[in-house]
Amino acid sequence: MNLEIVTPEARVYEDTVDGVVMPTTSGEIDILPGHIPIVTEIQAGEIVVEQSGQKQSLAISKGFAQCVGDKISILAENAIHIDEIDESAVEEAQKRAEEALATMDKMSDEEIAMLETQISYARAQLILKQKTKR
Amino acid sequence: MPNLREIRRRIKSVKNTRQITKAMELVAASKMKKAQQSALSGQPYAALLAETLSHIATRIEEVEHPFFEEREVKTRGIIMVTTNRGLCGPLNSNLFREVMKSDDAMKFVSVGRKGKQFLSRSSRELLADFEIDDSVPYVKVKQVTEFMIEKYLSGEVDTVEIMYPRFVNVLTQAPTVAKLLPIRGLDEMITELRGKDAEPYESSADDRNFVFEPDPVSILNSLLPLFVDRQAYQAILSARASEHSARMVAMKTAKDNATKLLDSLTLQFNKARQAAITQEILEIAAATSQD
Repeated sequence: MNLEIVTPEARVYEDTVDGVVMPTTSGEIDILPGHIPIVTEIQAGEIVVEQSGQKQSLAISKGFAQCVGDKISILAENAIHIDEIDESAVEEAQKRAEEALATMDKMSDEEIAMLETQISYARAQLILKQKTKR
Repeated sequence: MPNLREIRRRIKSVKNTRQITKAMELVAASKMKKAQQSALSGQPYAALLAETLSHIATRIEEVEHPFFEEREVKTRGIIMVTTNRGLCGPLNSNLFREVMKSDDAMKFVSVGRKGKQFLSRSSRELLADFEIDDSVPYVKVKQVTEFMIEKYLSGEVDTVEIMYPRFVNVLTQAPTVAKLLPIRGLDEMITELRGKDAEPYESSADDRNFVFEPDPVSILNSLLPLFVDRQAYQAILSARASEHSARMVAMKTAKDNATKLLDSLTLQFNKARQAAITQEILEIAAATSQD
């Protein structure tokens, strides 16, 4: 199976994989070879990619995923490989976003939505990072 | 024969101008690289988004969404993307010409100061003006499209189109009108976004049944606005890349012209100087021979 993860900035991931676990809005799903075509909405969280017995994780923000034939495509606003997560920078970003959100009444709906996306993405990265430490 | 001081003054001023245009060319060149990069890097995302959307759109016949509904076009809604500053060649005026050519009833939203000036000068209906700076923040673009979608849904306009100078290459920018709403021709759009070497895309290639989670309608509801926003965003990025490359080319021409002018002025100056010296020698010779 071929997996690609695309964000507005770049193609973050592209490789042949044996399976993918992704967080959808209605729960986690595991996609293995031969899966029926599916289009689904995903939320911020962890994506686990299995590649010849090895598992690697990526943090992802909300987006969409589709699986057609043996090709899985994930569209997300942000995605990052676990090794690249910089905890202190993420915490910083989360704090900034939360502080900005505190002055909510001055902002437009779009800005609030964007900040909330940022926060949930930051949270997903932190949870993932802490999980691997244990 | 103009006097020496006059010519020297002109040479100085032309030199200054050349210096400035040279600097502006360099600035535009570096900005262009950045803008081009960001316009290109967004393309796979936009293509995939269109692909996902076409999977849904072609498979659920019963979906009735106002975004797909084709209605009689009485008033076109146009988002006009222009530059904030001038000195970028015929980039903006090419767009304006497109507007002048058409007699349809149109309502406008302007992005960029030049467009706003043109629309108010030619007394066309300007619904709103949005300022988007060079970094093109996505949130700002979203405000523009959201505004237009609202007008579209309320029936004030029957289409939403975006008019912008499309970046073809550094030397060519094509004035383009792209339809955002109602959504049509997804297949061609995907083929174009994937680039020249990709095979033509066909959404009906895989005809197995699709599963949609949680359900098609709610996916469609969150996907459609994102799709429209992204398309507008992509168009504006392309317009920015066009702006900087047009400015770079315009400034390069200006610089070359200044250099040419400088050459001829220098020649003129030397001739005048030579003439003055010859004149002086003649006078001295005449004065000494008289004695």
